[in-house]
Amino acid sequence: MASNAGAMDLRTLDDRGLELRIAEILISELKLEDVTADTFDVGLDLVDELGIDSMDLTTVALVLQDVFRVAIDEDDYPRLKSVRAIREYIRSKIAGA
Amino acid sequence: MDLMQERWTTPVVERPAVERAAWRFREILALPEVGERFERVRRWFHLRESTYDVTNRCNLRCDGCYYYEGEKQFARETPDPTAWRELLDAERARGITYVVLAGAEPALVPDVLQACHDAIPLGCVATNGVLPVPGSIGYRMHVSVWGDDATSARVRGMPGMLRRQLEVWRGDPRAVFVYTFTRENIDQADDVVATLAAADAKVTFNMFSAPVGYAGPLRHDAASLAATRARMLELLDRHPRHVLFSPYSAVAHTQPLGLHDLFGCSYPRCNPSTFIGLGRSFRQYRTDLTWDRQVSCCVPDTDCADCRHYASGSAVVTARMHRHASHPDTFRAWLDYVDTYLAVWVAGYEKGANLCRQPPAPPRAVGEEERS
Ligand code: SF4
Repeated sequence: MASNAGAMDLRTLDDRGLELRIAEILISELKLEDVTADTFDVGLDLVDELGIDSMDLTTVALVLQDVFRVAIDEDDYPRLKSVRAIREYIRSKIAGA
Repeated sequence: MDLMQERWTTPVVERPAVERAAWRFREILALPEVGERFERVRRWFHLRESTYDVTNRCNLRCDGCYYYEGEKQFARETPDPTAWRELLDAERARGITYVVLAGAEPALVPDVLQACHDAIPLGCVATNGVLPVPGSIGYRMHVSVWGDDATSARVRGMPGMLRRQLEVWRGDPRAVFVYTFTRENIDQADDVVATLAAADAKVTFNMFSAPVGYAGPLRHDAASLAATRARMLELLDRHPRHVLFSPYSAVAHTQPLGLHDLFGCSYPRCNPSTFIGLGRSFRQYRTDLTWDRQVSCCVPDTDCADCRHYASGSAVVTARMHRHASHPDTFRAWLDYVDTYLAVWVAGYEKGANLCRQPPAPPRAVGEEERS
């Protein structure tokens, strides 16, 4: 599982910092090799290009909920298409909270 | 009688009593037996299934057979194993890793089964179990049982059916017998499961799910759902080494609402989204090697409102991990369900002890009304 035990304070993270943290979670949860948070393409389509399956996406969504303390609805999964899209989604959840 | 208060001897993993208001996913996974089981089932998250009718012929003609209720039976048969091999190679190329071979009776076309197995080695054959299937075809074999021998003689037209099925499958690790509970055969399960257990055979449970338009005597009602749940739990308790099932499987499949209304079916027939999962990749091929998204699901002629089918649940309940991950009890229940599904469908997967002895009602999605 992702190593970060506590929730992130999103106010201390700029967009790039948030994307790096999301990339770290993806790398950890999907056990990706040959990529680091720094080199992760934030526009990479997780389904069409990375081939993530529905159960792995669910796992990632649940860890994102833990780490960023936002509620992610199952119906919102199509919005989690890339690191950039996840960053925008999380920001929108915070703004709407 | 409150079913959840019954005495349990089914092997379960004891756990400390933990009660808190809100749980985070990683806190649930930090519970030792939960994290361990999650990692075990997670290795199979890569399974991507589709189903294939490999023949429209059958050696039996059972009353109420799904296959002969619908239109698929009229598709032209493709007997050439090479054509099947080419199709399955193409299926593998588009990401399919697991095949369910059905029909009418797949055991009538062993060359086609072999061709499919050579292309995609993980899968399952749905068979009436009367005919042998060559040992080189290493799929799970689901042998259908519709009641005791008197019922089988009446409904399936074959005397001594269970004896014949055991002659064919005794000692074969590929075989899982699938007992389908109807409104009329609940009591018969006792003797059938005892016979199977005595023969050291594995058995799991299915629920009769009415074909579209069916209003006959096999259709479940509230009383038969409750009685079936009680019987499933008793049999799981009585034959823990031979019954591949979990308490939560019994609860999820005997609710007043069917699986679609409870969980939201993700098969294309019910799910317009092509974003991910079954809605994206699942196909149901007929014997003429065509498929139609509008009718694609594991049991295409079934009435969705009455669908409690074990094949449906294996995909539909499993896909709803998110809503089960809110509390250790619901997540343990879900893990038991997935562990059962894998033991039933994947050759060589060994079922673990059930983690949840008092399963909660199926959780609703966020924003939905309380149900069941
Ligand atoms: S019959 Fe069952 S599995 Fe098929 S689409 Fe309807 S609910 Fe889903």
